[in-house]
Amino acid sequence: MIIEMSKLRILGARERLEDVLRVLQDLNLLHLSAPEAIPLSHADLTTGQERERRHLQAALDNIEQALDALGVRDTGAAAAPATATAADLIRWARLGWRVRRETERLSAQAAALDEERALIMKYQHFFSAFRALLESESRWPNATAYHVLLRGREAGTLPQLRAGLAAAIGEEFQLFSQPLPSGELAVLIVVSAQAAGRVERLLAEARVEEIPVPAAYGGKSLTTAIPRMLERLGNIPRELRDVRQRRQTLARTHTAELRRARTALYDRLQALAALPLSGVTARAFVLEGWVPAGARRDLEGGLHAAFGEDVVVSEVSKEEWESEQAPVVLANPRLLRPFETIVGLMPLPRYGSIDPTPFVAVFFPAFFGLMVGDVGYGLILAALGLLLHARSKPGTTLRNVSEIIGPCALFTILAGFLFGELFGDLGLRWFGLRPLLFNREEALIPFLLLAVAIGAVHVLLGLVLGAVSARRHPRQAAGRGVSAAMVVLVIVALLAAVDVLPGAFFTPAVIALLVAFPVLIVLEGLVAPIELLTTLGNILSYARIMALGVASVMMAVVANKMVGAIGSVVVGILFALLFHLVNFAIAAFSPTIHALRLHYVEFFGKFFSPGGVRYQPFGHWTRANSRTRAVPSTPTPRNPRQAA
Amino acid sequence: MSPVLITLAAALAVAIPALATAWAQSRIGPAIAASMAEKPELSTTAVLLVAIPETMVILGFVVAVVILVRGG
Repeated sequence: MIIEMSKLRILGARERLEDVLRVLQDLNLLHLSAPEAIPLSHADLTTGQERERRHLQAALDNIEQALDALGVRDTGAAAAPATATAADLIRWARLGWRVRRETERLSAQAAALDEERALIMKYQHFFSAFRALLESESRWPNATAYHVLLRGREAGTLPQLRAGLAAAIGEEFQLFSQPLPSGELAVLIVVSAQAAGRVERLLAEARVEEIPVPAAYGGKSLTTAIPRMLERLGNIPRELRDVRQRRQTLARTHTAELRRARTALYDRLQALAALPLSGVTARAFVLEGWVPAGARRDLEGGLHAAFGEDVVVSEVSKEEWESEQAPVVLANPRLLRPFETIVGLMPLPRYGSIDPTPFVAVFFPAFFGLMVGDVGYGLILAALGLLLHARSKPGTTLRNVSEIIGPCALFTILAGFLFGELFGDLGLRWFGLRPLLFNREEALIPFLLLAVAIGAVHVLLGLVLGAVSARRHPRQAAGRGVSAAMVVLVIVALLAAVDVLPGAFFTPAVIALLVAFPVLIVLEGLVAPIELLTTLGNILSYARIMALGVASVMMAVVANKMVGAIGSVVVGILFALLFHLVNFAIAAFSPTIHALRLHYVEFFGKFFSPGGVRYQPFGHWTRANSRTRAVPSTPTPRNPRQAA
Repeated sequence: MSPVLITLAAALAVAIPALATAWAQSRIGPAIAASMAEKPELSTTAVLLVAIPETMVILGFVVAVVILVRGG
């Protein structure tokens, strides 16, 4: 249900405005809204406050980035000092900037080391091959060495290379080669200094790629570079360890303080953001906002305790505000609360409309159960739900999902008994499990009628809720009521026509339809007949319960037939298990989507009024409310010294 | 009516809407995936839009069942 809200107006002397806002922030009850009275002007931020806001926002950005870089996982808001002084804020701003800069430097250092290691590792095999060859280089003090890598099919051209060199410079060279594990061929060519020019031309003409010696490792010769590179390879892990340790030390030293700073900065920024929501005159201020009706006395008591008679709180009468303006809080019993997750996938309902959560909590598991309808699958689902429940934390989406799985599994097991299914027809074959209602494998038409009948009930419930939610607009409510009545009349006429109901019902139902039709057009306009047809189409859409249910049982039966259908019993059992696994995966996914769709399109479409504003009381910062409360951000200098 | 024709009619009742559904989803899928890349909050709309064309094949399946039950 959507809980009742009260709109309050708070009046006081202008010089007390910031004190009042501080107390309101501590109380965490009032959802602020800008006063609409014309003579009031809004309390815009002064130049100093605007500058403060920009600097605090920059400091907060630094702290957030520093905490992210330090890998600090959020465990809620840290307690900030009761009164953060200006000195505290300046100290935190400097700390945030310093830690962010240090973490960035460490991250860049780690990235550079990783990159260097990757580069050396890439050529490690190549170096290992040349290391042995290069020992010969010292034998030719006046010689020049060329390092060449022949890739893939080029490796077969080594004889041609040797012949080409012999033709160009005679016997003034030595050529060494060694295959690499990658399939490439490492080649070292040592030539006399006089022949170097001709060899370079030959290699260039033949487009043979020479491996460059990285400048960072010393130079011209691999003889000197390789030992340095290998030495670096040995040192890099130690340097990376060192970087990690420095980051851990940084985290150990500053995390607690940074988290305190973040909470305090967010709080101060929220207080600054609240100022423009107050109306002011030359001597007084006015604050307006919403509070849950049940918490009104707490707010009044808190303000009275802090300011006595200096601050006046009064309730704005309901005639002065429209329900669409009020923020929305959903409050449902513990058992129904997980289903708020499903409703939460849609925009929030407007204040004064109907919260569909209780209906979703009943119909969603029922539809899911009817579609899957198997004791075995239900038990597996229940086990998965329990596992998920054990692994999830309270208040998380995963916990809510696990608590939705519970009722879905229960309805699946119940429907399994109704249809006599345990892993398809295994229940019947092994345990003599007989259907209490009907066998879905054979009774296709009864199942179809059951699905459509459930659809009729669900859609009619939606129409009735639509009429109730439109109670303040009598014409609209009457139109929805007539629509619901006409749907009932159409169903009665159809059932009478196919002899399910006595034939005597047919004529009165048709006459009533003919009378209701013009009334509907008068109430809802010319579009009403089309909407009526859409409603009938919506009811037929529930046939998907039957279609998915039959598909599920057929898949299970086919899986069971695998045993014996394939030569080997073991292979047959494996195939059957695989089929059941696939069927279970489909059964867990597809009915969820279709049950959601039946709610969102067919059911919600009849009464749901989206567009509600979420209730966000003005209070202290927590990680949970940081996702919904935006603190305005503008680009500002990051270095507090520069800012100063 | 000939059992062959009844079976063929039931098969077509499923096959044609199945092709239509596949075509519709092949157009909707990439479009909604692109939209979700920019606005992840559209996930609910994505589920609905992808599930809506399945109505065709589901109703086709129901019609096929009716053909087989009544015709057979």
